[in-house]
Parts: sequence; structure tokens; C-alpha cells
Amino acid sequence: MDKTVETAKPDLKQVDEILSRYQDQKWPLIPLLQEVQDEIGYIPPEAIEPIARGTGLFPVQVQGVITFYEQFHTTPRGKNIVRVCRGTACHVRGGRTILKIVKQNLDVEEGETTPDMNFTLETVPCLGTCFLAPAMMVNKNYYGKLAPPKVRNILQQYDNAGD
Amino acid sequence: MEAITITLNGVEVSGHPGMTILELARESGVDIPTLCYDPHLIPIGACRICLVEDERSGRLSASCVTPIEPGMVINTKSPKVMERRKMILKLILASHPDTCLVCDKGNRCELRKIASDMEVGLIELVKIPQLATIEEVNPFIERDLSKCILCAKCIRADHELVVQGAIEYINRGFTSKPATLNDEPLEKSECTFCGTCVAICPTGALMETKRPYSGTTAAIVSTICPFCGCGCNIDLEVKDNQIVRARPGKGSTVNRGTLCVKGSYGFDFTRSAERLTSPLVKVNGDFQVVSWEEALGLVASEFKRIKENYGSGSLALLSSSKCTNEENYLLQRFARSILGTNNIDNGSRLYSAANIIGLGSPVGFPGTTNHLDALEQSDVILVTEVNLTSAAPIVEYAVKRAVKYKGAKLLLIDPLQTGLSSFAHLWLRPKIGTDIAFINGMARVIVTEGLLDEEFVTRKTDNFEALSSELERYTPEYVEQVTGVPSDDMRHAAQLFAGATTASIVYGAGITQHVTGTNCVMALANLAMLTGNIGRRGGIYALQRDCNGQGACDMGTIPNLLPGYQSVEDTESIKKFADCWGTSLSADVGLTAVEMIEHAKDGKVMSMYIMGENPVLSFPNSTLVKEVLESLDFLVVQDMFLTETAKLANVVLPAASFAEKEGTFTNFEGRVQRVRKVVEPLGDSLPDSEIVLRLANSMGCPMPYSSLQQVMDEIRDLVPLYQGIGYGSTETKGERRDELDRDPFRNRRLYKGQFPSGFGRFSPVQYEPPVEIPGDEYNFTLLVGSILHHSGTGSKTSRSPRLSEFSPEAYVEIGPSDAEQIGIGQGDEVKVISPLGEVTTVVRFTTTLPDGVIVMPNSFSSTPVNQLFDIVLDPLSKTPALKACAVKLERI
Repeated sequence: MDKTVETAKPDLKQVDEILSRYQDQKWPLIPLLQEVQDEIGYIPPEAIEPIARGTGLFPVQVQGVITFYEQFHTTPRGKNIVRVCRGTACHVRGGRTILKIVKQNLDVEEGETTPDMNFTLETVPCLGTCFLAPAMMVNKNYYGKLAPPKVRNILQQYDNAGD
Repeated sequence: MEAITITLNGVEVSGHPGMTILELARESGVDIPTLCYDPHLIPIGACRICLVEDERSGRLSASCVTPIEPGMVINTKSPKVMERRKMILKLILASHPDTCLVCDKGNRCELRKIASDMEVGLIELVKIPQLATIEEVNPFIERDLSKCILCAKCIRADHELVVQGAIEYINRGFTSKPATLNDEPLEKSECTFCGTCVAICPTGALMETKRPYSGTTAAIVSTICPFCGCGCNIDLEVKDNQIVRARPGKGSTVNRGTLCVKGSYGFDFTRSAERLTSPLVKVNGDFQVVSWEEALGLVASEFKRIKENYGSGSLALLSSSKCTNEENYLLQRFARSILGTNNIDNGSRLYSAANIIGLGSPVGFPGTTNHLDALEQSDVILVTEVNLTSAAPIVEYAVKRAVKYKGAKLLLIDPLQTGLSSFAHLWLRPKIGTDIAFINGMARVIVTEGLLDEEFVTRKTDNFEALSSELERYTPEYVEQVTGVPSDDMRHAAQLFAGATTASIVYGAGITQHVTGTNCVMALANLAMLTGNIGRRGGIYALQRDCNGQGACDMGTIPNLLPGYQSVEDTESIKKFADCWGTSLSADVGLTAVEMIEHAKDGKVMSMYIMGENPVLSFPNSTLVKEVLESLDFLVVQDMFLTETAKLANVVLPAASFAEKEGTFTNFEGRVQRVRKVVEPLGDSLPDSEIVLRLANSMGCPMPYSSLQQVMDEIRDLVPLYQGIGYGSTETKGERRDELDRDPFRNRRLYKGQFPSGFGRFSPVQYEPPVEIPGDEYNFTLLVGSILHHSGTGSKTSRSPRLSEFSPEAYVEIGPSDAEQIGIGQGDEVKVISPLGEVTTVVRFTTTLPDGVIVMPNSFSSTPVNQLFDIVLDPLSKTPALKACAVKLERI
């Protein structure tokens, strides 16, 4: 089963409000989707039909664009996004173990979100910081030269941050 | 525009600017292989198989998307082209299973054909296994996406032709594939199973699920779909005297590569086990199989006896709006010249007879005034009271294309939500039965605000003053009060309609099946004439429910009109036909369909001959109709099946299906199209024309035809509308366009900008409150209509294994709040009760209905909804009111 908890139904009023601002624009779909995602945190599947109606597209076309781009998500995401590097340099310096430790700590698989909605775990092909290998990012912060205890410390910082 | 000359494989050829290399090559007889190209679709250059080399630069380009330019030197088969084309083909094959041997697409597979042409067999590249099959449980379409080559033809056909939006690519890269919303199976999506994507798919990725017969096609025969009045061209693929599948007719300007679910899958009723295969005679209440001679001998002697004892007026014939022109012509000649009666009518009386006076009187021609192409080019399209999704699917496609891709504005006037609602620029929902008030209100706005086409009104029409004074009372305030539509919206609609350069009107049974149907058609005709949208641009599109509703009327199976709408009361017309047939003819107007039942009840009609109609289900007050037909002295029914009506007959004559006979259908546009024999008649069944001819022989009055062509020749001579129409001399099976289709509109004079009588005549009509208003006891308004998967009384579609599996039974649609008030839930069994009768059905919730309105389909013999209706006729057209009635619901 999906580990994400049942969240409250997303507020589609926000979507309507965003749509109203894109009424007369010619190719509004992508900026509009970005704004919806910024506002709600993800693009609720229920929002696809109103968005399609507002932009004069078929719902399947909106779905096509959402699923084409990596940047769009249709499930709720955690408050913090953990991105573990799976690039070559990190791999030879133990990246696989780092990923395993993160998984153990958060008790989720790649692409999943913790039940308390605090963390979403993702992997990336390369963070571009090979000199810090093995590396990971949490939100917009880089953490390098990782070892298991350090990983635990870092995650703990974010775990407490919300309380 | 100046022609552009290019060199193609060393030969100079010329084309017009904007043409692609591929189009010019095909025109010049040079074959370039393609996978993602289809002439009906906008080319996207996805598959790259069609690439060609420009020898000046050595550049390779996809010929389907590259326009010709002066001086191009194109080689379609240079070594470089062949090398690349082979590699592209191998890359496609690398992700395509090598299962050709067991794939039913067989030799129809375009991928396999190209591979074979290019001598590419098993390839050396590492195979990339593709996504697994999606499990579908519908009886129509099966998707095996492991065979998908991502040409996007299905998606483009869905968006560009059918405009349904059921599928689109999902995901990216290796995982991309055509998918429905949320990647659900087709039956849970917006898909209507029109089959267009199956027909266009170049590989075996999209296939028919349940084929009535398997095997490699031996012949392809072009004919016309036997369901609604659109007249779609279908190609039937045949093997071993069995129809394997139906595909959209190639090159048809009617359906342009599309069909609906009935056209694609419904033909399988022709091999139903319930087909009648021999004549039946009722002896002591049981049917006994007899020979044709015996059956026809009995009919002939009974008809002679009844005619001699009770007079010609005691005989009545019901002809069929599903039979060919030739068959209708023959039956009315049989009635008029042999039986000596004008008591002949056809099934279209039940739904579209309002056009005969409603359009005939103001416009001068009782049918659609322009062709489908012109509808698609309109700036504003007014669609009123018709669910095109079920009533005329390809007209719906055309309207949706016009709105989505050609900037047309759709003005939808319908109390119910339809498939077009989301395409409407303005969707107005007048109360049921108030259309005349609404349309008159629009006409008044157009007159008072000076929006009318004054030149047209002055030069081409008369009686404008009468109209304009009669319209006085339809002030926006009054119309708002009657229809419930805000006056501003109504005014906006009028301004929109009148402001358009080209405006068209589409209407159907929702108008013509009301008691005031004829008047409402006249109101629409007034609207079209006020704005100059008739006879030159725009037009009125009067839909037909049956494949030959228009043709049956054209052929004079009408009690007061001879073929070509020539009146039986006009001595000159009567003389013309009497001379040709060498007999005297009655000038007394005969009985319309429902009047026959009323007269039979009073004992004035003693015997009926019913060809291809099912009045027990299609007429109002089924209980009475059944009683009356049972009590007839002698009843003959000619049908493919032992219908509810045939069961009551003394003699049942087995008829051949549309696929087993020759002839012509006339579609709602007035296009006369050729129906061709595809397979042999089942058992001893015979084409309806043959039965009528044999019966005439048995009566001792043979009709002088040795072929159907001679019948059509006579029609051509006697019916001005059909002048110039013939079978053509070089007719061969499977040949696409013959003389018949070359100029299908030659004699529909409105197409040339002239009213037949010189002037269009405004016919003022008044709104009268509907009689079906719900009261305290019968507190719901029931609307009855057709549904996509069935047609008519369902005698054909309910015997189509695939259609009946998908849509097996009737239901009643009701809004959840209405349902809550009377304490019924989704799926509950309820009784729907009118003062006249009751039917039992199950509840289905729909959130789109106005309060107090419920809807039921009319095509299910197990739920004969017409028995709720009393016989109330439109005083002008004699069409029974079968659209709305007041009912109550009771939970069982």
C-alpha cells in the first residue's frame, strides 16, 4: 500500500483562482501548472479536469503534459525533499550505502513520502558536486562527504524543524 | 497561384504551392512508404519512414511534412534513402514483437508490408521488450501496446477527426504510450468505441476484440451503414460469405475516415441466430414453415378477398425508413397500382414527418438544405434539442471539429446536457416544450434590432409583414417568463446568430417528436430565412433517425404524396404516374401510420402489410397497438426477425439484411448512395424488393422490372429530385465511386441558391404551452431518446452480440436530489408509471438533469417505454408525440 497518509481533499478553489488569472493567455498550460504546484505542493489529479476546461484542452492532454515533465507531481510531496546522488563518483565513494541509510532512517523507498508528510525521498543521476562525493541535497542545501552518522544527524535536523 | 515544378526521381512534375513532397509523389504515381501519415490527419513526420533525399544538397527530409519548393531534385529511392529507411525500420522492429504469424492483423499490417517490401526480416538489433497488454473487458476494442509504434495516428484521429479526447500520450521516453485519463481501460474512459482508431492503426496494436468471423479478407465491398440517417460509407471485409469487419469507407466525403460504434461493430446482427430463414404462416396460433409460393399465394388470395369484400381502403401498408429507395418505390407502386390504395406510410412518420410541411411549406423542399461540409465551415452553429452523440455521431464530429479547429461558435439550445455542452459558446436550457417561444423570441430580437439580412428578406422571401406582426408578443420579458432563460442570454444568442456570416441550424427528434413539431420546424426556418442562411450559405440540417428516412419520403411512401413529393390530389401528377404504370390511381389521401391503427380499431382497416417496421414497440400506446394488430383480419409482416410485431402476423416473410441486397439509400443531406450486396441472403430470406415483386406476380399483376436498375431508371424519369441518378454502366463490386455519387446534390435545388418556388415564405407560428406538464400525481417529466449503442426499437442492435453485450438493458436517469426526495437510490428497481401504463427499470444517477426531469432510452424491447404514451398526434404532421410525458416513480 501507498505509505502516504490520506490527506484532506485539496482545495480546488485555489485552482479556480489561478485559472482566472490565465483566462486570456495563449499558451498558459505550463506556467499555470507550475503555479498550481507551487501553491498546493503538487498537482491534484482532481484539478486536471478544471484545468482542461479552463484552457480549452482535453483532460488527457493536460495529463500528457504533466506526465511528460519531471518537474510535475500528481501526489502530495513531503515538506522536505531529500535527493540522494546516484552519480558515478558518489557510487564509488559509497553512494549506494548512503541511499540505504536514508531509506532505513525515513522508512520509505525511492519516490515515496513519509506518512507524516515531512520527507520525500528522490534519487538523481548526478548532483554535479562530485568533489563532495558521496553527496545528497535536502531542499536547496548540499551535504557532502557523507557517512552514515552524518546522514542521521542531517535528517534529524529537518525532522525537528517542523515542531 | 503558380504551379511549382520539381524533379521527382528524374521526372519533372508540378504541384500547387503548399503541397508536400509526399502528396505530389502520390499524385504522380510514385510510391513512398508511410506509417504515421493519413490523408485525413495533419501530418507530423513522426515515423520518418517517408524520408527522401534532395539531390542538390544531399539533405534528407520527411516527405509528409516537407512542402515542395521550386527546383527541388527529389530522389525517393537513393542508396542513402534506402540505407536510412532500412535502419529506421529496424529500430521500429527492435521494439516490436516478432509475432506476425499469430497476429490477426496479418497482411493488413502496414509495418509488416513495408518490412517485406524492403526485404527486412528478423533483425540483428537487440530487442527492447515493450509494455504489457492492458486488459480490456469491452466487446469492441483490444489494445496490445507491445505492438504500438508510436505513430500517434490513434491519438490524432481521436483529437482531429472524432474530437473526443479519450486518449493522449502519457509519460516520456521509453515509457510513453497512448493512454486514457488515469491510464484506465477504455470502457472506463471517455472512449465511445467509434472504431476510428482501430481502422487507422497501421499495426496490430488496436484490434477488434470479438470478431464475428476470422480469416484473411477475400474481398472488400463498399456499402452504406444501415443505422442512422447520416449515411456513412462503410467497407465490409468479406471471407467465406461472412462479414469479417467493417471499416470507414475510403475516400468518403460523408464520414471522412470515421464511424461510430454502431457502424464499426453493429453489422454482426446480420448473422444473428434469430434471423428468419423461411416464410412462416400462422396455423391455429403457431407458426409453420412454408415455401415462398405457399406464403405469397396465401397473401395474394387474402388481399384479393379483402379488397373485393371491403374495398381498397380497408388495406394499409407500412413501408420502412430502413429499406432502400427501390424497395420503398416498389411497395408504394404495389399499394397504389395493384391494391389501389394510398394507405401507405413509412416509419419516418414517427420522428421526422414534421419536416414535410415544416420545411416543405416555407422553404419548398422537405429536407436538409445544405451539405455536411458547409456545416463544418459555418461561423455559428445552432444545435437544438438533439443529442448528436447518439442521433447522428458524424454530425457531432463535424460540429466539434468546426468549434475546436475552425473557430465556429456553438449555440446549444437544449434543456439536457449533451456531448456538445462542453463545446458550446452559449448553452441555454429552455424549459421542455417551450422551443417555439424561445426561437420566436430570437427572431423578434433580430427583427427589432435590425439584425436581419434585409436584401435577402426583400428579394427572396415573402410574408415578412405577417411574421413581424405575429412576433410582437415575443418580447424578451415574455420569453424569459415562458422559457426560464434570462432575456439577456436569449438576446445574446439572437445577436450571435444574426451576426454570423454563415450560420447553420441542426435539429432532430427533440423538435419533431413534440405535438408542436411542425410549428417548431417552421419557427427554425423563419430564423434561417431572416438571416439569409438558406439557399446560399449556412442552412438547415434536419436529421433523420433511420438510414433511409429521407429516401423513403422521397420515394412517396407517404399517404398524400407520390414519389418526389408530388401530390396525389394533383391531377397532372396522378396522370403522370398512372400513364407510366398503365393503371388508374386513387386521388384520395390515404392514412398515416398511426391513423392506420386508429382506423383498424374502428374496423375500417381490415388488413395491414408491414415491411421492416415494428409498430408494437415504436408506436405510442403499445398495449392498444398490439390489440389492434392482433384483431386485424389479416396481417403480413416482412422482416429480418420475429419482432414483437411479426409475432402477431398471419404471415411472416423473411427479409434479407442490408448486406445481402443491392439498392440505394438517401442520407439526411439528400445524398443518394449505393448499397451493395456483400454476402448471400441468409437461408431462404429474400431482399425486400424481390419479395414485393414476387407478391405482385402472385397477385397476377406483375411489375415490369427485370433488375433494380430498371426501377432506378423509372425513379429517375418520374422524380425530378432524382434526375440524372443511375447505377452507371460500368458497375463492378467494390468499385468506389460510380455515377450515382458523382453529383449527389444535382437536383436539390436549394444548393444552387434558389427556392424551388422562387420565394421562401415566412410562416408565423405561435407558442402553445406543452400538454405534458407534470402535475401533483404524475410529478416528473419523462424524456425519451435514443442512445449511442442502439437504434430505433433495437430490433437490429439488440441482436448485435457486441452492442447488446455492452448495453444490455434500459434504465432511468434521475438527478440525486430528485431521487432522494422519493427515497430511491442508485441501482434500485423502480416502476415508471404514466396514466396509460407502466414499465419497470433500474435507477441510474445523473447530475446533469434539470429538477423534475428524468430520461429513458427507447430501444429496449424488455422495457417498452412507448406504452407510457397515449396517442397524441401533431395536427399537421400526424407524428405521434413520443418525446415527453408526465410520469411518477415508484420503488419496488
